[in-house]
Amino acid sequence: MEDKEAYPDCLGLLPKLEKEQAKKGWISEQALKRISKETGIPISRVYGVATFYAHLHTEKQGKYIIEICNSPSCYLNSSLNLIKFIEKELKIKSGQTTKNGKFSIHICSCIGCCDKAPAMMINKKVYGNLTEEKVKKILKKCR
Amino acid sequence: MQILKKTNLKAFEKAKKLGPEGVISLIKEKGLAGRGGAGFPTGTKWEMVRNAEADERYVICNADEGEPGTFKDRMIIEKNPETLIEGILIASYAVGAKKAFIYLRGEYTCLKSKLNKKIKEVLSKAKSDLKIEIFVGAGAYVCGEETAILASIEGKRGHPKVRPPYPTTYGLFGKPTVINNVETLTNVPLAVMFDDWNKDTRLHCISGDVEKPGVYEAPLGEKLSQAIERAKPKGKPKAVYFGCFGGCMPYEKFRDLELRPEKVCEGECMLGSCTMIVVSEKRSIVDVATNIAKFYEFESCGKCTPCREGTMRVLAMLQNISVGDAKPEDIDTLQELAEVIKETSFCGLGQTATSHLINALKFFRKDFEDRIKK
Repeated sequence: MEDKEAYPDCLGLLPKLEKEQAKKGWISEQALKRISKETGIPISRVYGVATFYAHLHTEKQGKYIIEICNSPSCYLNSSLNLIKFIEKELKIKSGQTTKNGKFSIHICSCIGCCDKAPAMMINKKVYGNLTEEKVKKILKKCR
Repeated sequence: MQILKKTNLKAFEKAKKLGPEGVISLIKEKGLAGRGGAGFPTGTKWEMVRNAEADERYVICNADEGEPGTFKDRMIIEKNPETLIEGILIASYAVGAKKAFIYLRGEYTCLKSKLNKKIKEVLSKAKSDLKIEIFVGAGAYVCGEETAILASIEGKRGHPKVRPPYPTTYGLFGKPTVINNVETLTNVPLAVMFDDWNKDTRLHCISGDVEKPGVYEAPLGEKLSQAIERAKPKGKPKAVYFGCFGGCMPYEKFRDLELRPEKVCEGECMLGSCTMIVVSEKRSIVDVATNIAKFYEFESCGKCTPCREGTMRVLAMLQNISVGDAKPEDIDTLQELAEVIKETSFCGLGQTATSHLINALKFFRKDFEDRIKK
C-alpha cells in the first residue's frame, strides 16, 4: 500500500520499457534515464522493473534474440540437445551475443508450446517441433 | 469441444435481460468455479466485487499462463476469442466495471494483434462502451499470481502482496477487482447460454513423453490412465507431473485414480488446471527434478528468503546428486530443505516450488539413492 502512495504514477512504466525493448532490442542506461525523466519515476525504480522481467534486457542484444524453452515438456523432448546444437552453430554460449551482433541465445521458461516441443522463440515468434534440420533452415533465413 | 462453442453475443443479451444480480446468481447456480487452479466459485467472487463499496471496479482476465505444460489458454485465445471477450463483457456488466484488462503473457505477444482486432469487432457488435485493454507481460512466471498481476499492471516489479486485503476489495489501483482465468471467462457465456453446459468438463493439457500431446476435453472423475492413454504415451509411463507446482505421482500405482481435485490429493498432488506431463520409465526422476528446480530457481521473484535462497540451494544439491557428487545424508537434508521452503514461503510459487521434489523423494527415492551409489 505504501508503495502506491509513494509512486502513484508508475502506471505505464512496463509498456514504455517494452516499447523501448521492441524498438532497440535492449534498454540502455541512457534509455532508462530518459524514461525516468519523462515519467518522473526514480531511476532506481525504473531499473528495478527493467531487471525484473526476463524479456527486458539491460545489456546489448543481438538483432535476433533466440529464446529456447527448457521447461519439462521441452526438456523431455531433447531441448538440451537443441540448445547445444544452436550454441555450436552460432559459436556462442547461452546468455551471449555473437560478435557480429546478429544473434543472442537465452534459455527460457515454458513458452506454452508444450504440444510442439521442443520449441523456441526468435524475437517473440514461435517455432515448434524443432529438429536440427529445421533450426539450420531458420537460422539461415536470419543470417 | 464444449469450450469452443460460440454464443455470438446471445449470452450477453440474455445477461442484460437478467440484470447484474440475476447473472451472478445464475453463475452461482450453474456452479462455475475458477479454472486457473484454485477453483474458487466465480459467482461468489463477482458478488464480493459488486458489493464492495467503490466508485470504480475492474475486471482482469488472467492470460499469464506460465505453468509449464499448460497451453489451454493459448488454444482458447487462438480458437475462441469471441466467447472469451463475451465472457469479459458479462463479467464487467455483472460487477459494474467500465474497464477490463487482459493480462497476456509476453510469450503470447504474437496473439496480441489478432485478439485486439477481435475485441474491437465484438465490442462494436455488442454496442458496449466497455474498454478492454491488452496488457502484455514481459516474462515472469510469478505474474500469474493475482496480486503480482496487479503490481505488474501498476508498473511495478511483479511481486505478490499480502492477502487480505483481497483483490475483490482492494485490487487494481486499490479498487475492487475481479481476476478470472481465460478458461473461466470463456465458460461464462456458455454457462449463461446453454442448458446442457457441463460444469465438470475440464481441459487436460497433456505433454512430455507422449506421441500426441495436446489439449483434450474430458469430464472430471475420469481415470488417470484414461486421460494419459488418449495422448499415446511413448513407452511405459513412469510418473505423471501435474505441471511443475502440482507434484508428481507414480503412474502404475495411481493409474485408476479419479481425476478430481480431492482424489488427486490422496496421491499428495494437486490437480490444479489439469496439466499432466508424462515421464517415461527410461528417465531418472533425478534429471526431471533438477530441470524443474532450475525453473523455480530462475522464476523465484526474490521477495522472500525461503524461496529466493531455498530454490537456489535445492538446485545446487540436486545438481550434486545428479553428477554423483553427494553423500547419502544429503538426501535427508534436501528433503528437510524442501519442506521448509514449502512451509515458510510467502506466496503460492514458493509454497509449491518443492512439491515435485517432496513427492519424488517419497515415491522415487531409489532414483536418488542410485545416483549417490554410482
